[in-house]
Amino acid sequence: MNCTRAQENFPNLLDPRTPADAHADDRAHLASCPDCQREYASLARTLSALDRLPAAKPSPRLRAGFYAMLEQEKNSAASVQAAVLRHRRAARVSLWRWILAPLAAGALALGGFFAGTRYAPVPAPAIDPATKRELAELRAKVDGVGQLVGYTFLQQRSANERLQGVLTTLDQKNPDQKILANLVGALALDPSVNVRLSALDALYPHAGEQLVRTGVLASLPREQNPLVQVAMIDFIVAARDRNATPELERMSHNESIDRSVRDAAKRAIAQL
Amino acid sequence: MIATLTEINVQTRPSVVSLRAPTPVDTATDAISDHELMLAVRDGELDALGELFERYHGPLYGFLAKLTGHHAAAEDIAQTVFQRMLKYRHTYRDDGSFTAWMYHLARRCAADHFRKTNSAPAPTDPSDLQNHADEAPDASDRAARRDDHDLLHLALNRLDRDAREVLLLSRFQELSFAEIANILECSAGAAKVRAHRALKELRDIYLALQREGPARN
Repeated sequence: MNCTRAQENFPNLLDPRTPADAHADDRAHLASCPDCQREYASLARTLSALDRLPAAKPSPRLRAGFYAMLEQEKNSAASVQAAVLRHRRAARVSLWRWILAPLAAGALALGGFFAGTRYAPVPAPAIDPATKRELAELRAKVDGVGQLVGYTFLQQRSANERLQGVLTTLDQKNPDQKILANLVGALALDPSVNVRLSALDALYPHAGEQLVRTGVLASLPREQNPLVQVAMIDFIVAARDRNATPELERMSHNESIDRSVRDAAKRAIAQL
Repeated sequence: MIATLTEINVQTRPSVVSLRAPTPVDTATDAISDHELMLAVRDGELDALGELFERYHGPLYGFLAKLTGHHAAAEDIAQTVFQRMLKYRHTYRDDGSFTAWMYHLARRCAADHFRKTNSAPAPTDPSDLQNHADEAPDASDRAARRDDHDLLHLALNRLDRDAREVLLLSRFQELSFAEIANILECSAGAAKVRAHRALKELRDIYLALQREGPARN
C-alpha cells in the first residue's frame, strides 16, 4: 500500500456510512504514515466544519406559496375533469358489479329461455300472462336495485363515495323523484366542487323536469365557485329556463362576482 | 506530534431529519413512503404532494440556499421545483426514487436560475427583506470573514458550481453515491471522485481564506 492508493480511498474512509472494519489496509497505512495523516486530518476538519454549518430555514412565504399553488392546481379545470373521469371509471366498475352483473345474468337466463323455446323438439307454449308479469317485476326489481345503490351512495360521508353515488345515477334512464331531489341537494349543499359538478352533469338528461329546473335556479345564488356557477348558467341556457332571467340579470351586474361568471350570465340572457 | 486516528475522526454528520424545520406532519401518513406518495400524486391525488412538501421543503431549501448563496433565490427555486413536480407528475416512474427525482428537478431549476442571473442582475424587492432575517452576509464585508461559517460560505461560493453541487448532495442530503450518480447522470465511481475533488478544492480555498484573515488584521 502506498500513499497514492491510500489517498484514493479517503472518500470511503471519510464517509460515515462506511463500516469501521472496511478498508483495513488503508487504515493500517494511515496509522503509520504522517503525510497521509496530515492530509486526512485537514479533509476531516473541512468536512466537520461543513457539517457544523447552520441549516438555513425558509421563510413562511415558501409554505404559503406552495399551498396556494396546490389549491390552484386542484381547482383547475383539467384537474376537476380528470377527477370526474377517474371517479366515473371507478363508478363503471361499481356499476358492473352491482347492476350490470345481475342484468347480464338476467339476459343470459332470457337467452337460454329463448334458445330453449326455439330448439326444443316440441313447440313451446306461448308465455302465459303470469310469467310475463313475473319477468316485468324482475326487470323492475333490477332497476330498483340500481336506484337504491345510487341513493345509498348519496348518503355516504366520504366525498369519493358521494361522487360515486352521483355518477351511479348517470346511466339511469328513469330515476325517481327522490333521486332527482338528492342530486339537486348535492348540487346545492355538497362541499366538494367535483360532486357538485357531477350532480349537475347527472341532472342534464332531466332538465325538462320542473323539480330539476327549480333546484338548479335555487342553487345558483348560493354557489361561490366560478367553475360551478358557469356550468349552472350553461345548464339554464340548455334547459331554456326563462325564469332564470332576473337572477342572471342580478349576477351580470354584481361586481363582486368573477368576471367570467358575469360574462357567462350576459351571454345566457342574450340566448334566452 | 502526529495525530492518531481517533483524534481525527470526523464528527458524525447531522441527520437530515434534525436539519429540517419542525413541521406539523400527519402521523397517519408517516408509514407511507415518499415513492407511494408520489405515485398517488401522479394518479391525481394532489393532496399527497402536501405531505411530500412537509417532508422535503427544508432539506431542499437548505441545498438550494447553499448552492445559490442567496435565500430569496433558494425559496423561488424550491417553489419552482414543487411546481414542476405537479406539472410533470406523469413522468414519475414506477421504479423511481423520489429524492433522486426531486434533486434532478432542483438541479434543472437551479441551472435555469443561474442562466437568468448570469444574463441579468436579479432585482430585489425591499419588502421581501424582512422575511429573511438570516440572510447571508455581504461578501464584501471583510470583517465578517473572520467568522468560520462565513469563511466556509465564502469558500463554498468560490467553488465551481458543479463541484459545489456534488459536495452538497453527498454531504447534506443523505443520498447514496448510486443516487447521486443517477442525479448527475454519471457512474457511482465518477460521482465519488468528483465529490472528493470538490472537498479537496473546498479545503484549499477554506485554508487560504483562513490565512488571509489574520493577515488583514
